[in-house]
Amino acid sequence: MAKQLIDTFARHLPDDIRTAVHDNSAAGTAARYRALGDDYDDYDSLRRLAGAIRQHSIENLDHYLAQAEESLVRNGAKVHFAVTAGDACRTVSDILQRAGVRSVVKSKSMVSEEIHLNAHLAAEGIESVETDLGEYIIQIDGDHPSHIVKPIIHKNRRDIARSFEREGLGDYNDDPAVITRRAREFLRGKYLAAGAGITGANFVVADSGRLVIVTNEGNSRFCLAAAPVHIAIVGIEKVIPSDADLAVLLNLLGRSATGQQLTVYTEFVSGPAPAECSSGQREMHVVFVDNRRTEVLASNCREILRCIRCGACLNVCPVYRQSSGHAYRSIYPGPVGAVLSPLLAGDKFKELADLPKASTLCGACHEVCPVDISIPDLLLRLRDKAHREHIPSPGTPPMGGFAVMGSHPLVWRAAMNFGAAKDYVPMLDKLPIPYLGAWLKTRTLPPWRGGKFRAWMKSRANRKKEEHS
Amino acid sequence: MTAREKIFSALSAALDPLPERAPRPEVPHGVADAKWMASCPDVISLFSERLQEAGTACFESPGDLAAWMASQRPKQIFVPPEYDDLAATLSVAGGVTREYRRDRVNEIDATLTVAAGGIAESGSIVLTDKTSPDRLAALAPWIHVALVRRETVYRSIADALDALPDDPNIIWVTGPSKTADVEGILIQGVHGPGVQACLIC
Repeated sequence: MAKQLIDTFARHLPDDIRTAVHDNSAAGTAARYRALGDDYDDYDSLRRLAGAIRQHSIENLDHYLAQAEESLVRNGAKVHFAVTAGDACRTVSDILQRAGVRSVVKSKSMVSEEIHLNAHLAAEGIESVETDLGEYIIQIDGDHPSHIVKPIIHKNRRDIARSFEREGLGDYNDDPAVITRRAREFLRGKYLAAGAGITGANFVVADSGRLVIVTNEGNSRFCLAAAPVHIAIVGIEKVIPSDADLAVLLNLLGRSATGQQLTVYTEFVSGPAPAECSSGQREMHVVFVDNRRTEVLASNCREILRCIRCGACLNVCPVYRQSSGHAYRSIYPGPVGAVLSPLLAGDKFKELADLPKASTLCGACHEVCPVDISIPDLLLRLRDKAHREHIPSPGTPPMGGFAVMGSHPLVWRAAMNFGAAKDYVPMLDKLPIPYLGAWLKTRTLPPWRGGKFRAWMKSRANRKKEEHS
Repeated sequence: MTAREKIFSALSAALDPLPERAPRPEVPHGVADAKWMASCPDVISLFSERLQEAGTACFESPGDLAAWMASQRPKQIFVPPEYDDLAATLSVAGGVTREYRRDRVNEIDATLTVAAGGIAESGSIVLTDKTSPDRLAALAPWIHVALVRRETVYRSIADALDALPDDPNIIWVTGPSKTADVEGILIQGVHGPGVQACLIC
């Protein structure tokens, strides 16, 4: 029987990975809950305020993006715009080539994953090294991140130790402290030799022209301290009006992502380092990437552009916990990915149109969202879009029979009257009716009660008539 | 059409048809302060308490710092040129250096830098290019000590955001560099300091 692709993936997921993803996600949810509960009596109203700030930002993006550009230029940064993923990659490699840079260090950025920047730079002969520990391991393994905040949630220490051994970073040792220290020593050399540092940005403040970059490891800071050129690749939706809005957004971001009040390093970058500064970037570029965000903004799912990439919806999602991030076959996994990935796929919407169906609509993702995105509503809108575009949906029971019954009262009445016959059919689950067997494997049907409501309505109507006469 | 024009015209096409745009919400000052801030002790006690909760060792006298530094046994410590008195109190095996150079980042394993301020609510240290002009000095060593003046400590995160200095690079440091990428196990000292300290003076 046809299965949804995500089900098929989840079914083949090894038990140890499923357990790792499940436990680590559940721990993330618990840490979030503790951090918010300890510090706020009513964090729901704070989430709603953050959502209102973000909704205002994206619905006035024409204004704020122009203002951000103006402020950044005033601060001494160069601002670039890129419509497509390919444009964005070329913009970055052009900057690097003009500056004569052959090697770059990179801190974690989802938009750079989205545009496949590393592959492009490699093809241009430019070495690009990921410096976030998890992303570095992803890079040496030729793998893909499976979580927005915890990219190697699907790997265990033995996998990593083997990868490090293979890369010549010392003998096999699976102690996380040793793994971390080896990465520290190796990547330090890369930072100091790099000609440019590439980062993302968590927020761009329109009126002050500051990029806000948060990390726990300090890797984006190292990129900006060691390399003479800084390139920030930023989705256009990251812009917010002013520094004061950060009080709400930063307080919710860290707590929602990892249960921290603030991430260890919260960096505000508004321009190149001054001449008297003995380290730091001399040249700063900001590349604003559209890559179909304007299409999302024009759709009835624009609310998803509020997202601040905390990963809380992944951690809490029962489907994500069972299937892991790779099951979503795209850069953004979990509930946010089920909305964003098909939208960002453009003409290839069809290929990811099953993702919005990979949800029970339990609503947990909406409850934890720091910017109050009603993800279940958006999933329903995308299911509707797929239906309108006649995209076939494996794993969904055919509803044609029901449609005929529901639109023909006579057929319906007949079905209600004769439905009781099913109570006398032995081995109902063996009947060649699609999906019935699978459904009955874990359920027992109650005795037939069909038609009772219609009978009650009828007798009620008769009673009323008698009362009136 | 340039890429910029294409993006702005797509933005107009997406936004102009909206019957109305979401209004800008009022963000009252302190709306996201942690609830225990209302009953917090004085700013410096809170700062000291929160620094330690974030994993930053906290000292209020140069003598205490010197004793602790000796116990950490760094190879060599960098102290900025203008802090002779402080340099004199520190005894470190490989001595005190007054110059920080990027070709020596692995030899100088402890540094002292001057912070622009602190944030009591989160136990964060605020560094800027103006006060600590070598970004590597505050990041690359295993042990980093930030010197924070009492009068520069902000009460809350919101207060610090309201008064962000005019500097191309500001960084809030809240504890030692850390990761939990490997199996969710917390490890300190990934790219930045494994030991973070603060001297309040």
